[in-house]
Amino acid sequence: MTAPLLKVDHLTVGFPSKAGVVGAVTDVSFEIHPGEVLAVVGESGSGKSVTALAVMRLHSKSTHISGSVMFNDTDLLALPEDQMRAIRGRDIAMIFQDPMTALNPVFTVGMQIVEAILLHHHDMTKQKAWERAVELLDMVGVPEPRRRAAQYPHEFSGGMRQRAMIAMAISNDPKLLIADEPTTALDVTVQAQVMEVLHEVKRATGSAIMLITHDLGLVAGSADRVQVMYASRLFETGSIDEIFYESRNPYTRALLDSIPDLEGTKDELHPIPGNPPSLLRPPAGCPFRPRCSMAIELCREQTPALIQIANSHASRCHRADELAVLAAGAPA
Amino acid sequence: MADTLMPGSQAAINADEMEGLSDKPKSFGRLAFDRFVRHRLALVGVFGLILIAAAFIVGPWISGYPFDETNVRDRMLGPSASHWFGTDEIGRDLFTRTARGGRYSLVIGLVAATLATVFGTLMGAIAGYYGKAVDAVIAQFINLILVVPFLLTLALFSLRFGSTWWRLALVLAALLWTRIARIVRGIVLSLKEQEFVMAARAAGASHMRIVLRHILPNVIGAVVVEVTLLVGTVIVLESTLSFLGLGVKAPDTSLGLLVSDAKSKIDDDPIRVLTPGIMIVFIVLCVNFVGDGLRDALDPKSKLEKN
Repeated sequence: MTAPLLKVDHLTVGFPSKAGVVGAVTDVSFEIHPGEVLAVVGESGSGKSVTALAVMRLHSKSTHISGSVMFNDTDLLALPEDQMRAIRGRDIAMIFQDPMTALNPVFTVGMQIVEAILLHHHDMTKQKAWERAVELLDMVGVPEPRRRAAQYPHEFSGGMRQRAMIAMAISNDPKLLIADEPTTALDVTVQAQVMEVLHEVKRATGSAIMLITHDLGLVAGSADRVQVMYASRLFETGSIDEIFYESRNPYTRALLDSIPDLEGTKDELHPIPGNPPSLLRPPAGCPFRPRCSMAIELCREQTPALIQIANSHASRCHRADELAVLAAGAPA
Repeated sequence: MADTLMPGSQAAINADEMEGLSDKPKSFGRLAFDRFVRHRLALVGVFGLILIAAAFIVGPWISGYPFDETNVRDRMLGPSASHWFGTDEIGRDLFTRTARGGRYSLVIGLVAATLATVFGTLMGAIAGYYGKAVDAVIAQFINLILVVPFLLTLALFSLRFGSTWWRLALVLAALLWTRIARIVRGIVLSLKEQEFVMAARAAGASHMRIVLRHILPNVIGAVVVEVTLLVGTVIVLESTLSFLGLGVKAPDTSLGLLVSDAKSKIDDDPIRVLTPGIMIVFIVLCVNFVGDGLRDALDPKSKLEKN
């Protein structure tokens, strides 16, 4: 396999608060290879977005970050701010959740893309950057890009704004695109279109994508690998098939079980009972234990380690081996 | 979605329609101007101000009297063809004096408001954006200025340093920037939590660039309205100070001083109080109309069509 584009090792992020440090990300390690789509899945507050922001180093100064984030053999966490700024937007770009607020209301959409281009191409003329912006809008499927580029964000619909955001993010041909819940704020039909655009973009530019989402349905159709996070930790990581059909983790299974069934064979919704634990004072043992149907005495005493199951498959569960037997009758 | 990556497929369809249109987008300034000239009250305000400024500048030449020329035979005259606004107790032409006083009022108003706005906006933006210790220091500084007794300071200052118009403007600006700073700080506090600020950071923009390019343009609409209100406030304040004898000093004059001079004769000769008084009201009203128009013009969500 090729060298990883991004290699995160033992990343730990804590937010100091009056009551103590909130451990938002605990000892997370993963890799993203060039051209790969890695989906990061988990509930709200599981540490997905915080991980992404740590990679971009967009946290405030008071945040405790440790571990390493190697991007093409450069440790981003050790980089001085001005060099980090040169990487943001050029090598690693980000798409945000809410296209309603992620565009500046007082500039035309075209101008904002021009701005993003000129930040990293100081010698390019404004006219050329504008032409490029129109080209990019066309590429992400904005009709009449020339006219639309001169419009303001409030004249765009949600889906169109998210396309514009994608156009802005890919304006400098980044090697890694971090999409933080890119479709959460959109209608279901528009979600599919935006995902389609992301795929086209990936095909055309060959950039790797870190797709952060809580929507497993979205993951199935678009990711190469999946990483499940729970209560600031990595719970399971594997290929699409390994996660969806051979999951060795009760949390992943509960998550899969909670997907509503559109064909109506399931009568009820199956939410995961309870709430995620406090990250301020995490309970001893496995953080998922109070909600887990398979919990045993050991889970109360000891936090399970991430156990390697196959080459690309790892799970954080004391009973991961037992789950192999059950894997045959995998949940839908 | 098939057309997603086929550049120009949609554009080709619309190519004919696009032909006639200029593909150069109208700039924000151009759009704002278009919207402004459609705002009727704002135009009234602009023309009113131009008219009054022109009258104040050209007037003294037309009237043919120097502002401080006394003429004992023409004392206390009412308005006439030779003395449009009449004369005062020592026979000075009141039109010339109103024009001269009005000029001071306008200049002091504009200069003080501009200084206060530039400084206040900068301080407010820095406090709001950087937050924490920086914010605390600036906030305390603002509180300090707010508790300084306003008139007392002005009085002491004018007694100690005299009261040329630019000194007066400077002191007024130094005491009035806090209001703008607090407004800007509040807006910036909410703006910086918006995702577009994070998006700009993620695109590689520096903090300075974010404040100047992304945050301040969003503040302008609110600030502009405040500025115009501030121009009005300064003019009224300057008049008040002059009325109290703390502003512009005789033999020079200002609108406030003219009202003050006439106050003892208000029963016999109300016009002498009214003319400079009406000038003050007229100027402040015009300035506020302009502010109203600017606010609408600078709001990109304004509904006026731009084609």
